[in-house]
Amino acid sequence: MIFELEAEDEILAKDLMPEIHSEQLFLFGDIGASENRLKLIAFNGRYGLIRFHHTHSVETRATLASVYSIHGTRVVLHTKGVTGTIKSATEKYLPRLSKISAESDGRRIELEEVSGCIIRTHGLEVDLCPDDRNWTKGSDTRYLGLTSFDLSGGHDDADGTADGL
Amino acid sequence: MSFFECLKAYPEGSASASRLALTAKRLGYPGIIICNQEPNKLFRPGAVEFIKGIEVAFGAEVAAQSAKALKSRISALRARYPFLVVRGTTEEIIRVACEDPNVDLLLHPCDGHRPLGIATARAAKLNQVSIGFDLWPLLHLCGSPRARWLEAFRRNLLFARKFELCPVITAGARSHLDLRSPRELIALAEVAGFEHDEAKDALRRPGKLLELNRRKWLSPGVELL
Repeated sequence: MIFELEAEDEILAKDLMPEIHSEQLFLFGDIGASENRLKLIAFNGRYGLIRFHHTHSVETRATLASVYSIHGTRVVLHTKGVTGTIKSATEKYLPRLSKISAESDGRRIELEEVSGCIIRTHGLEVDLCPDDRNWTKGSDTRYLGLTSFDLSGGHDDADGTADGL
Repeated sequence: MSFFECLKAYPEGSASASRLALTAKRLGYPGIIICNQEPNKLFRPGAVEFIKGIEVAFGAEVAAQSAKALKSRISALRARYPFLVVRGTTEEIIRVACEDPNVDLLLHPCDGHRPLGIATARAAKLNQVSIGFDLWPLLHLCGSPRARWLEAFRRNLLFARKFELCPVITAGARSHLDLRSPRELIALAEVAGFEHDEAKDALRRPGKLLELNRRKWLSPGVELL
């Protein structure tokens, strides 16, 4: 099974697998985990490949979906697809390495409703570290998830850049 | 595969409506319904128009302190929003919500002390109120609180099956990191006790309700074409 990791910060393979194992144990117990032994084959910081028993795809999908945070960092694992061999998984689903880091890219946003530093941009997606922590209250996230469409057109005299910021 | 998901956007969540739409589109949803308690205070709702290939509807979650306030808020919001959700926080709120045909979805708490009762189930069936199963605690809790939640969840599901109610599943997403793809939600629902086809229907239900509510009904069974 190929999965994609979305996280607020960089996650290492050595931290990921214990979390998946503990989620599996919590959800299905020792007997359930023994019937479907998961093994992390590869993980490049964003995409990963996990081996599971072929009759337990629903349980594996549920286990990956229930991973919520790793060492206090909010993460989500999205299943991309299932293949029979490692070769076809690599060819079909594993694109170029793209690491996640939480370093500010130096730009600031100051709007009436929201202000803060941009942490990262990926296509149209913008993660913003808000000046006021209360703005992400209740959802356990550190950053606000926005798009460049939310930020464009904030000021009449703004020149704007190609990504709308 | 018209799976719809109900979620909350900034300022009640931590992602804007357009970011949620973008993530939902990537995960394979044909549409989402944004149900904030104060939908008029949404951050840049107009930005969703730039996200092509996904339908974004704006509903409302009705919250009130008392039954009387809830009734008046429901009738005030019904004309403005095509999808109304009530989160069942107290017995009184649950009773009023399931007795009101203007409510589309009642998010019933899966609490061992407050299970879905016979009277509630009958009223929900009579007034065509769907019963929402929020899978958020399955992701958020762990250990014995999750075991207790699962027990209450299965009991409510049993009642929903017995009284032929329309269940709806949602992940209760408040940010783009809370969103799960339709197949992941179905897998989680199956783990919690749903049948595969039942989970699929439950995920399709909000879209169907939205479509029905957008048509002009003069009275029950009479449509203005």
